[in-house]
Amino acid sequence: MYLTREQERILSGERGAAKELAMTILAKVGEALGADSLVPIKSAHVLAHYSSLHEAGIEVLEKFSSSGGRFAVPTTVDPASVDLENWKSFGIPEEYAEKQFRLCTAFAKLGGIPCWSCAQYQVCNFPKAGETVAWAESNSVVFANSLIGCRTNKITSGLDIACAIMGMTPRFGMLLDENRVAQVAFRSAIDRPTDLDYRSLGYYIGRHSGSRVPGLDGLPRKVSSDELKHLGAAAAAGGPVTMIHYVGITPGSGSMKSASGGERVETFDVGRKELDEVESDLNQSEEKPDLVALGVPHLSVYELGQLAKFLEGKKLKGGTRMYAYTSSQAYDLLERTGVKREIERSGARLTHSTDAEISPLKRLGFDVVMTNSAKLAEIVSSEGEVKIRYKPVAEIVEEVTS
Amino acid sequence: MTKVISFMGRVLLEGRAKGEALVSRRAFTFAHGVEPSTGVVTDLRSDLSGENVREKVLFFPFGKGSTTGAAWFLETVRLGNGPAAVLTQTAEPMIVTGAILGEMLYGRKIPVMTDFPPTMAEILRTGDPVTVETKRREVMVSREG
Repeated sequence: MYLTREQERILSGERGAAKELAMTILAKVGEALGADSLVPIKSAHVLAHYSSLHEAGIEVLEKFSSSGGRFAVPTTVDPASVDLENWKSFGIPEEYAEKQFRLCTAFAKLGGIPCWSCAQYQVCNFPKAGETVAWAESNSVVFANSLIGCRTNKITSGLDIACAIMGMTPRFGMLLDENRVAQVAFRSAIDRPTDLDYRSLGYYIGRHSGSRVPGLDGLPRKVSSDELKHLGAAAAAGGPVTMIHYVGITPGSGSMKSASGGERVETFDVGRKELDEVESDLNQSEEKPDLVALGVPHLSVYELGQLAKFLEGKKLKGGTRMYAYTSSQAYDLLERTGVKREIERSGARLTHSTDAEISPLKRLGFDVVMTNSAKLAEIVSSEGEVKIRYKPVAEIVEEVTS
Repeated sequence: MTKVISFMGRVLLEGRAKGEALVSRRAFTFAHGVEPSTGVVTDLRSDLSGENVREKVLFFPFGKGSTTGAAWFLETVRLGNGPAAVLTQTAEPMIVTGAILGEMLYGRKIPVMTDFPPTMAEILRTGDPVTVETKRREVMVSREG
């Protein structure tokens, strides 16, 4: 990989220890992945939650922050492993929260924007089409490449911090035109999809794309960006998907033919039967849930308004909790508009700056979790500690409230 | 008689390693998929579920799942439960990043190679004795009979 003279200087430690470490990671990963050079980025989105980063991740972040590191571009962050404001009331053990706070402190010292959201593109990090960014968080990556039309690879933890510190990323993978062409097609024939159908469809695409970029045709014209957020998240949970050409929506993908660069590609038809298969695969239990978890990825202000309507006049039955996960920005807004109160009147709770799949569900005593998130279902059920019930939100509300 | 089968690949991180092969034919992830404190594959969707990656020459076609993969890999390495080498068909940035940090922070060298021929997934079997020699861009598998 080509390095400029200045990049060579950084690599040899002339610009301080933090930059030297960041550049070493960029140079080695770039070299390993066949990048030809480093290119500037407009923003970064990084990971700093204890449940996945563990002790080693704390050491990495603190190594950067204690050696003079500073983010060179606007840098947002994925959710924490605990609600950063109300963690005590959710029963999080003190010593667990302390680990998360060490990551928060290091992130703040590096100059990050503390949005703590996995839908940061809906609250505080908006690139424009054509820009290059370096984002971790697989759902954000799919959203960026497919809907915003900017370019990012799925940046893994460690590399994310290095990109943010240098304000650059290795040029490989999804940054290159030739890798952004659809190589497999999915045709949806689902009439009036429910919330669950969008997620199951995404998951199906993730499971059947392999390492190919998928294209998707046949979505209703009125599909919302929130629905596509969940579809993309499910696809990225089911396989290594980093972009979906939504025919008629993704910039430059007016037809499957233009998405695939004129090539004929393998095509999957996805109907009720395929979605039923996904549902029975992800649905592992018929037991009464201890927890209903809504919002992996984070729900938007609009989605939470919908949830408030669903819950109107209803009360949670005993023995089941319901948490709706969102960003702190959306949380504040809902507090001011009264929607938070409407949701909580039912006995459900709104929680911010964290998310279900990265919080210690088992330690908090939850054995059966009900959700409409295929991403949560995939992550939790693959671990096997907590059983998942995978249902549409209408059915969930019907079952757990009276 | 022992027969040696050799596969050529592309070197992502240099080094030599010897160990038993642990072969997955499905997408693989360390994130929520391997318990760092033991090295045991906990991902119930993996065909290696219940196996241990520690000191093994791990082969899988491509990665999947959460971008925290490098952190899980790194924690597994920190606790001394990392694989001896990782071989893939499609380069997996999470493994590369985790392995680089593992060497920088904890001094453990884990060679990583990719771009092996598709036939390797069919021929290589869990338990095969494997030698990884990145200087020759080669992986050698010993087979009795």
